[in-house]
Order: sequence, then C-alpha cells, then structure tokens
Amino acid sequence: MDTIKLYLHSMRMLIKSQMQYPASFLMQTLAQLVMEGGEMLAVILLVDRFGHLNRWEAGDLYFFFGLMSVTFYLTECFGRGITGNFPYLIRTGQLDTFLARPRGTLTQVLCSAVDPRRITCIAVGVTALVIGSSMSHVAWTVTKALLLAEALVCGFFLLLGLFTIEGIFCIYSVKSVELVNTLTYGGRSACEYPVDTFPRPLRVLFTVLAPFALTLQQPGSVILGKPLFDWPEWTAFVSPLSGIVIFGVVWLCFRRAMRYYRSTGS
Amino acid sequence: MRAYLSTFRMRRKLEVQYRGAVLGGIICQAFFGLVLIAIYRALYNGKPQAMPFSSVASYVWLQQAFFRMLMASDPDLLDKIRTGSIAYDLCRPLNLYGFYYVRIAAQKLIGSLLRGAPMLVFALLLPEGWGLSLPASPAALLWALAGLLLGLLCVCALENINMGFTMRTLDSRGMQAMLNLLMMICCGNILPLTLFPDSWQKVITLLPYAQLLDTPIRLYTGTAPLSDAPRMLLIQLGWTLALTALGILFWNRNQRRIEIMGG
Repeated sequence: MDTIKLYLHSMRMLIKSQMQYPASFLMQTLAQLVMEGGEMLAVILLVDRFGHLNRWEAGDLYFFFGLMSVTFYLTECFGRGITGNFPYLIRTGQLDTFLARPRGTLTQVLCSAVDPRRITCIAVGVTALVIGSSMSHVAWTVTKALLLAEALVCGFFLLLGLFTIEGIFCIYSVKSVELVNTLTYGGRSACEYPVDTFPRPLRVLFTVLAPFALTLQQPGSVILGKPLFDWPEWTAFVSPLSGIVIFGVVWLCFRRAMRYYRSTGS
Repeated sequence: MRAYLSTFRMRRKLEVQYRGAVLGGIICQAFFGLVLIAIYRALYNGKPQAMPFSSVASYVWLQQAFFRMLMASDPDLLDKIRTGSIAYDLCRPLNLYGFYYVRIAAQKLIGSLLRGAPMLVFALLLPEGWGLSLPASPAALLWALAGLLLGLLCVCALENINMGFTMRTLDSRGMQAMLNLLMMICCGNILPLTLFPDSWQKVITLLPYAQLLDTPIRLYTGTAPLSDAPRMLLIQLGWTLALTALGILFWNRNQRRIEIMGG
C-alpha cells in the first residue's frame, strides 16, 4: 500500500515538473497524436484498398489496432522508467543511488519517470476500439467489459516484462541492446494485426515467446465473437494471465541479474 | 572544396565506428520488413491488385534498407547552440550551411550504405514473393541510382531547413518529432505510397517527401515506366534546388541574429 502511495506521489511530482514548459509539452503531445494517428491512417488506407484481411473485417482490424495501441502506450506512459530510462540509469551510474534506499530497485525505477505525452496515443487507441466495436456490432456485456479490462492489464504487464528483458541485458552489457526491440516495438507493429496473418515462425513467436496473441488477441477475438483459436470461450479469461507469468519470470531474472550489477562508477 | 571533402571524410570515419549497433539495427529492420510483407501478402491474397506483389515486396525492402537516410541525424547543432560552442563553427572559414550540409550527407550516405548493403543481399536471397526482386531493366537501375542520389541531396536540404527551425526556437523537439513523422508517412515508410488510394497518389508523389525514396523505388521496380523517368528526375531536381536555396536564405538570416550563449 505504502509503495502505491509512493508511486502516485512520484507521478504527481514528475508530471508537475514536466508542466513547467507548457508550450514544448503541448507540441510534443500533439506530435504524439500525429504519430499514432499516422499509424492508424495506414490501417484505414489498407482497409480502404483491400477491404478485409482473411476473415477479419474492417471493424475487427480497427479493434485489434486499438487494443494494441492502448496497451502499448499505457505501458510507455506509466512504465517509462523501464521502457525508456533504464539504460540511461545504468550508463550514468544513477542506479547506485537506488540501491541505497529501502525500496525494491524495480519499484524505484518505475517511480523515476512517467510520460504523460502518450495520453494522445492512448486516446487514438480508445477511438479505434470504439469505432471498431461499433462497426463489428459488438453487443457489450459486463463479462465482455471485464474481459477487455483483463486483457489490457495483462498486456501491460507483458510489455513491461518484455521491456525489462532489455534492462537485464543492459545490466550485463551497459550498452542498451536494440535487438530486444524486435519483441517490443516489433511486437507492437506486428500484433496490431491478428496473428493468424503471419507465417508459422512469427505466429509461434507471438503466441509462445511474447504472447501478445494470448494476452490481447484471444480475448479481443472472443469479444468480437470470432475466436482466434478453436478453444472454448472460457479460456479467453485464462490465457491473458500468460502476460503476468512472463512478467513474474522476468522479474525473478531481473533480481538475479542485479546481483551481478557493477556500477559504471562515474 | 577541400575543407568540405575532409569534413565528409571525418564524419564517414565516425559513422563506421559502431559496427555492433549497425548489426542490431539491420536485424531489427529486417524483422520489420518481414512482418510488413507478411501483412501485405495476406491482404493481397484476399484481393489481388493491378501492381504485382513482387513490386510491393521490393518497395518494402528498399525502404527498410535506406531507412537511415530518412532519420534526423545530427543532434550536435542543438547542443552547440545551447552551450554556445556554435561560436567555434562561426569562426571557421567555411559557410555554416555548407558545413552542416556535408556533415549530414556523409552521415546519411555512409549510414545507409553500411546498413543497406547487407540487408539488400539478405533480401535478394529470400524466395520470390518475400524478397527483393531484380530491377525491372538495367536502364531502370541506372535511372533509380540517379534518382537515389538526387533524393539524398534533397533530404539533406530538407533536414537543414528543419535545423534552421532548431536554431530559432532552441527547443524544437515537438516540431522535430512532427516533421519526422510527416516524413515517415509521406515517404512511404509506414505504408508504401503505391498502396495509398490512387487519387491521393497524384498529389502525394509531387511533395518533396516523395522525392527521397519513393521516386527511385518506383523507377527500380518498374512501377513508373521509363518514359516517365526524365520528368520524375526533373521534379526531384526542382525540389532539391528550391529547398537548398530556401535553406541558405533561412540560415543566412538566422546567422545574423544568432545569440551566443554560455558562460
């Protein structure tokens, strides 16, 4: 409980500090809007030219796009300490100060940054979800709403876990390892579309190794009434938990890796 | 002229230092390329288009290979203005615009050759329909290379204009992000321009952004007939000259009112 209070307090301070340059903040927030809007424009233009992707209609595609972009930018916003700042903390040796404080390292890293500019990206994602679900005539029920919420939360943890893998590499190598970006940013770009679009190796990658298919798309497809896999519907409630499992495993690895942490000493 | 050449050589040496990062970058870009092609393939299977799919695949690979050319590449100037060390650059017996133009050109050319060459080899080895196809004809390849060179000159001029804004506003991250994004969309990096609605293409191919990579790629794949090539290159040349002239004017004005900070 105390940790959550601490986190919220840090967030308030960080946001306040970012608001000190309102014009720059506004411009950057706007730039984010154009960026995510551009991504969505690509989907709209593809739908305009091709109409459908295998058995997925326009509305379904917008829905999957929205699911991914809301989750991804929630992570980028609230998990900024891991998604953006961690390599910097290691390189400059700032992580040392965290080790002296009576809180978990990962908690403090998470408390060290927030990125409120992403709010516009999240808004684009929400718009895509709303448009998508109305075009696909989704009849919303409490169960479906809960399922959506579960998918978003579990997707958040999955992405946080994947970004933490990059952090772990960074502990050993000091330099940030861009290769992991194939899982995070690559995962985002790929899994804006349903995984059954892809050839088998990519499908396996995004179902088993970085299970976007299980955390986001399986529940998403059940909400749309066109299950992605031929599994019974209740599995849609279980499969997103894989995101939390991944986060748990990565967290344990992170703790082990921290034992090998050598300060850069500057 | 010798001074510009040695500036170019210095930046070239800097650019080849980080080979590890280059390898990581190549693998990332190749992965993105495969993902995009998989998506477009599935869409094509549902509704075939007039343009053969191999052209789309080639388009994606060429965009990925020369991705580095599009990225804003010179963050030094901003720091120099903030810290006041721009004063040293102003003391050089060189034109400031030309100095930065050459720096950017070296970075973009060497950066994209380092990343592009291995990636194009990889893409050529992929099976038909996934990889890069050979150019439509030897003549098309020559036209495309000429187009690529003009595209490089054009993107450097464009970036120098962006930097001109940086000199004015000091913190131009928002502006820069917006211009970069406009670049990514209008260059055909996010979605090939050839897949934009046909009515949009008439306008979008005339914008300066389309001159960078879209024109050479269309010439390479044969999407644009060779009889169109001289006209397309003229448009490129026109934009390059116009943007360079505009940039020089802009920089000269900036230079007159520049404040040296520091202390």
